[in-house]
Order: sequence, then structure tokens, then C-alpha cells
Amino acid sequence: MDSVNVLIVEDTPAESDALVQVLTANNYTIVGVATSFKNALELFYNSTVDIVVIDIFLNGNPDGISFAETISISPNASKPFVFLTSSTDRKIFERAKLTQPFSYLMKPFNELEILYALEMAVEKFYAQPDVFLGDQEDTIISSQYLFIKKGKSLKKVIITDIIYIEVEEKYCNIITENEKFVILISLTKILKLLDTSIFCRTHRNYIVNTEKIVEIILADNLIILSGNHKVTLSDTYKDITKKIHTLK
Amino acid sequence: MVIFLDIFVFMKIPMHIKVEIRVSLILIALFSVNALSSQEEQEKELFDIEIKNKATEYKSHAYFHDAALFFIEKNWDSTLVYSMKQLNTIQNNTEVKDYTHYFRGYSFNQKDLFEEAEKEFNQISRQFEFYDLVKLRLGEIALEQNQFKKAIPYLKDGLLKSSNNLYFKKSIVLKNLGLCYHHLRQFNDAEYYLFKSIILQEKSQDTLEMVRTYGDIANLYYEQYRDDLAISYFEKAYKLSEKVKDFQSKRNTAFNMAVVEENRKNFKEALIYRKESEQWKDSLNNQNKIYEVAKLEKEFAIKEKQKEVTLLQAEKKAKTVERNGLFYSAIVLLILLTTIIYFYREKIKTNKIIVAQKERLDELNATKDKLFSIVSHDLRSSVNALKTSQAKLLDNLESGNLNALSNLLQNNSAIVNGAYNLLDNLLHWALLQTKQSYFEITSIRLFFIVEQIAYNYKPIMLEGNIDFENKVLKKDMVFADQESLKIILRNLLDNAIKFSNSDGKIEIYTQDVNEGYCDIVIEDTGVGMSEETRLELLKESGLLSKKENENIIGTGLGLQLCKSMIKKNNGKFSIESELGKGTKMIVSLPKTVL
Repeated sequence: MDSVNVLIVEDTPAESDALVQVLTANNYTIVGVATSFKNALELFYNSTVDIVVIDIFLNGNPDGISFAETISISPNASKPFVFLTSSTDRKIFERAKLTQPFSYLMKPFNELEILYALEMAVEKFYAQPDVFLGDQEDTIISSQYLFIKKGKSLKKVIITDIIYIEVEEKYCNIITENEKFVILISLTKILKLLDTSIFCRTHRNYIVNTEKIVEIILADNLIILSGNHKVTLSDTYKDITKKIHTLK
Repeated sequence: MVIFLDIFVFMKIPMHIKVEIRVSLILIALFSVNALSSQEEQEKELFDIEIKNKATEYKSHAYFHDAALFFIEKNWDSTLVYSMKQLNTIQNNTEVKDYTHYFRGYSFNQKDLFEEAEKEFNQISRQFEFYDLVKLRLGEIALEQNQFKKAIPYLKDGLLKSSNNLYFKKSIVLKNLGLCYHHLRQFNDAEYYLFKSIILQEKSQDTLEMVRTYGDIANLYYEQYRDDLAISYFEKAYKLSEKVKDFQSKRNTAFNMAVVEENRKNFKEALIYRKESEQWKDSLNNQNKIYEVAKLEKEFAIKEKQKEVTLLQAEKKAKTVERNGLFYSAIVLLILLTTIIYFYREKIKTNKIIVAQKERLDELNATKDKLFSIVSHDLRSSVNALKTSQAKLLDNLESGNLNALSNLLQNNSAIVNGAYNLLDNLLHWALLQTKQSYFEITSIRLFFIVEQIAYNYKPIMLEGNIDFENKVLKKDMVFADQESLKIILRNLLDNAIKFSNSDGKIEIYTQDVNEGYCDIVIEDTGVGMSEETRLELLKESGLLSKKENENIIGTGLGLQLCKSMIKKNNGKFSIESELGKGTKMIVSLPKTVL
């Protein structure tokens, strides 16, 4: 599990320092603090960023909105972001609101508020609402990562690192090369959101990363995965063999 | 004209033949007069009554009805048109047909189209009620065309069948018969009928006819060269003519006398008669002239009248125009007046509104001023406290009393927090009043908002040893604007803490009392409030002035802000409190249904 990378765009050092402190304390990685529009773009494109925290006013101009607009234009590069502002001026808000999805946080804010705002931004951005706030789920699936709520903060797991997923009622055991952990997510949702060209169901309770398969022993209904993990292959899902042959 | 021609002939041709021609000419002249008199008004009128009755009887035959009416009005052309139309319809009974043919025959006769008239009369059936009249008409037509032989049987027939008929003059028929025989030179018969006629005329005292008939008799004798008899009748006629007003008759008799005297070689007498005849002729001409003059006068009078009428019309027009002008100007004035009244009333209304608004504004302004003074007072106190504390801090720093420093700093922090909250509320109040702030109602999970708000107050509550519990369920969701909800909760929690004693307890939870609403309850175990205060707090725009507890009670701005924002979020606000036991602040917001 990796920590989530945050880019801060904020021109007031005192405030950015406070932000850095709070986020670091909650296991977020700060990839950088930009103080201008240009600076922000450089940092954004040169580092792996998961969430951006943007102050609307940079040096007295609403450059924060311009920055958000810029990164929203390219769909592949865009990332979840949160606006910070000390004013509820309607005109500014109307403009900021055009950058969808729109999340904002009023200054001054406390630790809980900023963490909440970040979670909301991720939820809204990946269009999977009510994940982190409810009791039913704790994971959001993007194309690259699983964002999992751990305590007060978020963690991420690279999807291609997953070897297989074992479903146990409303929990899912995620087994990667190095780790094994439990997330809260429904089976239907995980099946819907995972890339089906990589992940295949082999059993009522198993979803396997086909790229991690080492051997399929049909006689024993068994799949051997990298790291010597063994998974059952039920008759219902035996079609998987054809798919893998064609792949290899 | 006939007479002039007569004189001309008289001068040129020998005596014998001359007399014959003369007589016949006079006869024709007399005859034509007879033909006219045969259509005597009186008889026609009587007959018209009969026609009218028939017209009413056959009202269903529209054309017949019309034809009959035109017949009565002597409008011959129209009678011909409508009678033709009637004949063209199919639904004719014999009686209608007979009447129609009679109308046509009579009309043609009046227009001197004798052959057509004869044809029409011949088409009438024998059953026709007035067939005798038809016979007489046919006889007259024949007479008119000088077919005397043909005329006689018709006239005789007609006479025979209708001895008591009211619709024609028997004497005239008799005279016509006489004339016919005269022309046929059957003088005896002629004499017989003429005498019969004259007897009837003498009986009815019809002087004019008598004059004519005497003339006819005289002519008859004269032609037979029974001059004595003839002359006596001529004289009789002449004398009788003096009683008559008809100039033509007077002239004819005078002229006949002149001719008679001339033939007797009494030229002197003849000259006198001739002169008299000339005189009557002049009279006739005069009469004509008088008629003409009268006609001209009449025309002139009509023209005058017309002029007058035109003038009156013009005057009337002018008057109408004037009246219309007055009318329109009255209307315009009325409209103007109405408009003025309307605007005046509007103005009064507007004035009233303005006055009301002014009062409200004054009130608001007063409130604002009051608020201003309270806020500045509060701030002044805070800053003053800070100043004092600062001085103490410096003193303690110099003396190196570090324990006191910590306490003082904590105190300062509390003061600054209070001042900050006050300013924050002030800002939001101002933004709310000017409606400048961003406001978006969304679905919000209440639990996290409460957590976030409480987070800032944790240290204070810990310090005051106040037990806080967020009992809001994670699934509780409300519809609200996030920022304003935070302001509401912040203020209410702030109040709860402010009015809690140490070791008190504050709970935030939700309850489901009202349909469609989620009640957020902030409950404390603090000092509580009196009913009076409670009502005062719930009052619209009631800013609490300084009272009882100088240290605790603030401006009331926070609560006002809460109330306004709850209202803006479509929520409700209520307070439950018991003095000394605690207070429940209840915010009801629309619930999000999952």
C-alpha cells in the first residue's frame, strides 16, 4: 500500500506549511508546493500526483481556477482537486464551479475538514459517491489504483500489483506480491470497475489477475499464481483457459 | 291637333264630303274622350277593392299578390312582369289564371297594345266572375281599332250579362254601342242606344257625359242631314257645356256651333262661336300653361325645399360634428381624469409603501447601529483584555514567572478565539444581508460535519471538562448548504459551551419527529434560560442587548445569523430550555431520502 501523493498550490507559506504538516501527519505524501500558476503546471506534469489542493487566489489573482481549468482539459492527465478559499464571493464561486467536479474548502479549516475535503474530491472525481463516508464501502477504484480509506487518511494500491482477490461476503481480500489486506466493497462493483481484460473470475469467490497466472491444473481445478498462491477454478468459469491461451 | 286638321280639311274639300269627314273627325274626338271616361275612377276603385280581396285570398301566390298590388297602383309595367312570373309557375288554378290574364289584358290595353290585350282577354275562361267586364273590354278594344262590327256583339253581350254591374257605367257602354252603329251608318240603332244612354245620364245627372252624348246625337242627326234636330242637340250640348268645367267639351260644343252657324251662313254667329271656341282653346292652353307654370313653380319650390333640406342637412352635419367633437373631448377629458386619479392613487399607494419601507429601513438601520455599537463594544473589551493580558505577560516575562505565562497565553488564546468568532459571524451576517455569498444546497452527511465542527472545540471542552458526544448516525443526511450548516452548528455549539458549567455534558443527536425533516438537537446541561429569554431569542430580528450576565451573554448576533441561515436552508428552529437544567437547540432541516 502506498501513500497518496498530494500537490499543493498555495502562495502563502504559512498556510502551505500548515497544510504540509497536517497532510504529512496523516500519511499523505506531498509531492510539492507550487506558489504560482506556472510553477504549479511544472510540478503537476513532472511528478506523480493523485490529488491537487489549489488556493483560488495566487498573488491576488484567481490563477488557481485557471490552473484547475488547464488540468481539467486533458482527460488523461486530470486529477481530483480541491479549491481552498477564504471568500465565499459568489462570482468567484460561479467561475470555479465550471470546473467539474467541483470541491471546495473554506479557510480557515481544521484537520478533519481538509481530510474530508480530499476524500470528497476523490469520490466526486471518480464518480463513486458515498464510499468513504458510509459504512458499506471504503474503496474507490480508478483505472490505475485502488484508493482505500485507512483510518483518517487514504492509501492507494496499484491495480496491476494485485495477484488475486478473494471475496468473503461484503469484504474482499486483496493479495499482492508483498501484502494481504481486506477492503470493503461489493463484488458487483469490483467486477464492474476492474479492467476485464486483466481480471477474470475463476470461482464464485475468486477474481484473478491473469497476468499473474503461472499454471492452470485443470485436473485439480487449481490455478497456481505467482508467489505460489493457489486459487480454485470452478467449472462455471473454465472458459478462462481459452482466453489465456489466446493471450499467450 | 285633331281640331286644326279638321279646320284645314274643312277649308279645302266640297261640302258634302266635307261634312262627313268633319263629323267623323269630331266623332273620333268624342270617342277618344269616351274611351277615357269609360275608365272612370269610381268604377275602377270599386273593382280594385275586389282585386285587393282576391290578392289577400291568394297570398300564397306571391307573384299574383304582387301583380294585383301593382295593378291597383296602376303600375302597368310591373303588373305585366309579375303576372308573367305568376303564369310561369305551375300551381295555378283557373281563377288565378283568369285574374292574371285580366291584369295583363287591362295593362296592355292601358299601354295601347290592343292586339296583345285582346289575346290576353281571350284566354280568360267563361267561368270568370267578371266575364262580362272582359266582354266589355274586348268591345272597347274592337272599338278602339275601329272594328265596329266586332265590337257590337261584345258590348251587347257584356251589357246583357251584367245589367246590375257596379264596375262599369252602363250609359257609356250604351253610348259606345250607339257610336258603333253610327260608324256602321245604322242610324236608327245608333239613335236608339244614344237615347238610352242619355236617359241614364240624365238620371244620374252626369253633366259632362250628357254634353258629350248630346254632341254625339247632334252629330248623328247632322250626318243624316236632319239639321233641325241636329242643331237643337248642338245647342243643347252647348248650353249644357256652360255648366261644365271641362274646357275641351266647351270648346268642342262651341266649335260645333260655329260650324253649324257657318253652314247656315250665319257668319256673324259663327264668328262669335268660333271666337268662343278659340277662347276655350286659349283657356285650355292657358290651363296647360298654368299647369306648366304650376309645375315649374312646384319644381322651383321643390328645388327651394331641396336647397333648404341640403342646408339643413349641412347644418345638421355641422351640428353632429360639433356634438361629436364635444363628445370626444369629454371622453378624452374623462380618460385624462381617470388616468390622473389612477396615478394619484398609485402615488398614494407607492407613498404608503415607501413610508412602510422607510420605517422598516429605519428600524433595520437602528438595529444595525445597535449591532455596530455592541460589536464594537465587544471587540473593544476583547482587545482591552488582550492589552491588559499583554502587559501582564510582559511583566511575568521579565520576572521569569513561566507558569503564569502559560496561563496568560491560554487566556489570550480564548479571548482571540471569541473575537474571531464574533468577526466571523459579522462577516457572514454582512454577506447574508447583501446576498453575495455562494449558496448551494446539496445532500450532506451530518455526522462528518458535526465531527469537523466539534474538532475545533475539543480543547476548550477538554479544558472546561465538558463531556461531548456526537450521537449523530452516519446514515443521517440532510439537504443544506454546507458552509451555512457549518456556521449554524458552530454557533450553536459555541453557545452550548458558553452556557455550560464545567463538568457539564453536550450531546448532538438527531431525532425523527417531523415528516420529511431531520431534527438536529444540540443539548447541553448548562444554565438554561427563562421562558421570557427563550421567546425573546425566537423573535424575528431581536438582538439581545446587554443584560444580566455581562461575561457570558453576547450580542445575539450569532443566534440571529443561525435563524436567518436556517430559514435560507428551508429549515426550522426551536428552543427547549429549563432554567438551571439545560437547553435544547433544535434545527430541523429537510431530510435526504436514500
